[in-house]
Amino acid sequence: MNNKLKGQFVIALVCFLLGLMLVAQFRSTQKSGSALTSLQRIQELTTELKTVMDEREKLKEELAEMRKRLEEYENSAADVSRVTEAMKRELEKARIAAGLLEGTGPGIVITLNDSNLPRQPGEDPNLFLVHDEDILKVVNELFAAGAEAVSVNGQRIIATSEIRCVGPTIMVNSVRLAPPFVIQAIGNPDNLESSLKMRGGIIESLQVFGIQVSIKKQDKINMPAYTGAIKFEYFEPVKAGE
Amino acid sequence: MIIPLIGLILGILVGMLVPVDIPINYAPYVSIAVLAALDSVFGGLRALAEGHFDGNIFITGFFANALLAGFLAFLGDKLGIPIYMAAIFAFGVRIFQNLAIIRRLVLDRLFKK
Repeated sequence: MNNKLKGQFVIALVCFLLGLMLVAQFRSTQKSGSALTSLQRIQELTTELKTVMDEREKLKEELAEMRKRLEEYENSAADVSRVTEAMKRELEKARIAAGLLEGTGPGIVITLNDSNLPRQPGEDPNLFLVHDEDILKVVNELFAAGAEAVSVNGQRIIATSEIRCVGPTIMVNSVRLAPPFVIQAIGNPDNLESSLKMRGGIIESLQVFGIQVSIKKQDKINMPAYTGAIKFEYFEPVKAGE
Repeated sequence: MIIPLIGLILGILVGMLVPVDIPINYAPYVSIAVLAALDSVFGGLRALAEGHFDGNIFITGFFANALLAGFLAFLGDKLGIPIYMAAIFAFGVRIFQNLAIIRRLVLDRLFKK
């Protein structure tokens, strides 16, 4: 009987532990809604939170750096002289060249859209879509014809701009664009138009597949500025005279 | 039979009064441990009813089962295989078996009287 009583006490001890764990588990399950869905979801959210926090940290650093730079500029702006005036003009020119300024001017607007020809069965549907290469060729042709500024669907083409196919869309300046593609170019409108329309040129080869191309000459085009971030991580300029 | 029940109620009460919080990462391990404890309790009750209860075997069994189950859950987590299913399965089957034996013994005792 003594043994049996002892056994009951031992079981009671384990029951005590069981009750403790049950309550703890119940509480943690209650807190996070359902036990089954929560675990995976929580892991996902944890990693997401971590990446976002890292990003935030990085942005904070960037902000601090920007603030410091702004302060430096303000300090240096306090003593405006002829040198800084000249530098300002130089800067303006550099910014125009870099595509960081909005602007207007005469030029042409080209609209490219996917083909609306009825497709024959067995034909490759890819032939009837506007591809990154098509846009690339048009932009290249425009620059060759003396365009001073080019934008695709509002994305200004700058020195580091990419034009690349990403799945069903086309990426320019890390922004996804979908047809119709509106390409604006500032330059001599006649030159630009004839460069595209020349025999055997880019427009002719596009129209073979029924891609809809329209070209409009305009007296005034509003050219947007490049709005993305400019970051040089690896490039270091070589100073003259060194 | 009344003493284990008191233990259980005491455990629940203490658990409610003392806020023991389990980090969400360890929740699967605790659920396995709960199952191991349940299994041990039923096994102990059965042994008690059959009259060959051994406190040492019971206690070591409880901890060994809980630890092995926890380890399996951990290993499964690392390997991406739900090995803890094995523990859940084994414990679940044993709980029902023990319950059946306990039920039979209790019924026997009731009808003999």
